[in-house]
Amino acid sequence: MSEDVLAPLSGKIVSLSVEPGAAIEEDDEILVIEAMKMETPIFAPCSGTVSKIVVKEGDAVEEDDLLAVID
Amino acid sequence: MKSYFENMPPFGKALKKGTIKRTQNNYEQVLGAEKQILAAVDEVKNAGLPEEKINQRGQMTVWQRLEYIVDPGTWTPLHTLFNPADNVEGTTNVIDGLGKIAAKWAVVIGFDNKVMAGAWLAGQSENILRATDLAKRLNIPLVWLVNCSGAKLTEQEKFYANRRGSGTPFFRHAELEQDGIPVLAAIYGTNPAGGGYQSISPTVLFAHEKCNMAVGGAGIVSGMAPQGGFTVDMAEDLVQKAKEHRAKPPGSVATHYDHTGFFRFVYKEEKQVLDGVREYMKKLPAYDPEFFRVSEPKAPAFEAEDVMRLLPIASKTVYDFDDILARLVDGSEHMEYRPDYGPEIYTGLCRVDGFLVACIGNRQGYLGKGYPEYADYPGMGAKLYRQGLLKMSEFVTFCGRDRIPVIWFQDTSGIDVGDIAEKAELLGLGQSLIYSIQQSGLPMMLAILRKGTAAAHYVMGGPQANRNNAFTLGTCATEICVMHGETAAVATYARRLVKEKDAGRDLEPVVEKMNALARKYKDTSTPLYCAKQGMVDEVVRLADLRHYMQSFAGAAYQNPKSICPQHQMILPRIIRDHAAAKEKE
Repeated sequence: MSEDVLAPLSGKIVSLSVEPGAAIEEDDEILVIEAMKMETPIFAPCSGTVSKIVVKEGDAVEEDDLLAVID
Repeated sequence: MKSYFENMPPFGKALKKGTIKRTQNNYEQVLGAEKQILAAVDEVKNAGLPEEKINQRGQMTVWQRLEYIVDPGTWTPLHTLFNPADNVEGTTNVIDGLGKIAAKWAVVIGFDNKVMAGAWLAGQSENILRATDLAKRLNIPLVWLVNCSGAKLTEQEKFYANRRGSGTPFFRHAELEQDGIPVLAAIYGTNPAGGGYQSISPTVLFAHEKCNMAVGGAGIVSGMAPQGGFTVDMAEDLVQKAKEHRAKPPGSVATHYDHTGFFRFVYKEEKQVLDGVREYMKKLPAYDPEFFRVSEPKAPAFEAEDVMRLLPIASKTVYDFDDILARLVDGSEHMEYRPDYGPEIYTGLCRVDGFLVACIGNRQGYLGKGYPEYADYPGMGAKLYRQGLLKMSEFVTFCGRDRIPVIWFQDTSGIDVGDIAEKAELLGLGQSLIYSIQQSGLPMMLAILRKGTAAAHYVMGGPQANRNNAFTLGTCATEICVMHGETAAVATYARRLVKEKDAGRDLEPVVEKMNALARKYKDTSTPLYCAKQGMVDEVVRLADLRHYMQSFAGAAYQNPKSICPQHQMILPRIIRDHAAAKEKE
């Protein structure tokens, strides 16, 4: 089972809080998107292992873009 | 109306393990910031002479008097850090707040007799007027602990005269009395001149046997005939006269109890004076809380301390406002008004101690595709758009009709700007909200959770709503300013930068000025600065927010000037019918 973490809004990735392979718990912070002067933290929807992070700091993302995958 | 109020829909989420872990840093930051605020409060409490010295003189301090007269657990301090003139004493020299006396809410205010025997200082009359305004707005008694040595004569130019100067409270006392609001005064110590009017202007005077009050004190009597200057001979004469007056100060109990009868009651012991006031409070009109309660009081389903994790102290981080509100209201239950409209704003009915209150707050974060509906740019919470402004106006209007007190929560960056926003009528809708608030005649309180910025700070029940706003609270994360400091620096210096660039000059000096302005904004929008200047009436611990809501709700429902029968309220029905219609869809 894997779960995709999607961008809830367009913006810029300002920080990554975890690395691929990290074990995380539900509601841990994965990364932060900045848009309209505000920072929106993106939290893990479930516990598991971060199998993939497809963005890096400074990337611009659109709403619904894939950000990470949790196994 | 039981079916509406006894079991409202629950809201809010329990903290998950991950949330607790990732918010630990924020929790510690809040704790640290709140410690700084508590330290500032302690400085005010310790201003002037030590408690032991006052007690050695056979007197209680103002803090001891407050503790004795106010029912345990009900003291709700306000204006503790208010000191707009930056007095060296570190205080305006009055201590005030809401508290219950004999189970009835009152505004209680007392002179700090540890500091210059309770003298008038700069900023004090503004502080007193905030207390008299509060009594008026909530229609509850004002209780004075008078112990006022008169003006600090060396600084009289700062406070004696003027439209809102030290004499204005005497007119406010008269105004309260004419509105049917009693002003009770416990009187201690020597109260000459200004202190005399502080003593005489209330409705009923409860005197300690050693107190006195007079138009002028010994100092004034002995120096009343100016002769163009002073000589040593005159000084010798003054010494003699002052000694005589010291032996027999004017306006003692012998004069004002036995002769004029101004003092209604006289007591031997300090505590007996307070007992007398307490007994009198029992005689004053007040509804039993049961008259207005819509359900039994209930604690929130979640811990109050959770708010220290849920409100990010970093001003740019988004959060879930509903989760915070759920920690503040009875049973973590509510009835949300128009949840599908104006998503940047929460409006809903909640209960506090079983009393019905209306809550309004800014939601944070991305507002979803296609919103605001009039623009091609995305909407973010904290900002106000057309629907949010309209929704607040509607809600406040219904609350006015149903006589439901309003509690506002601000964390706002302002109203949407630009020509598109102008075409969407936002300028007019902001003022419409002001109109709705003013015409409601409702008591309101405001907590500025984080940002209070631009006109949104005014329109969302800000303290500028003089007729409505009972008090405004700040938190350790509060930041109040017209706009962000860097935005202000750009607005101020952008054209100057262009000129300097065109002239081929170095931009560095202008950049320095821009940074200086941004720093100034930061320094003058901190919670402590806001409290000192009176932009907020108190900075409170996040875990104490509910206590203030309880005091506000209890006081607002104690003796309201107008009431709406519960079964004639329309707002709960509108909310429920709307929810039912949505469910059918």
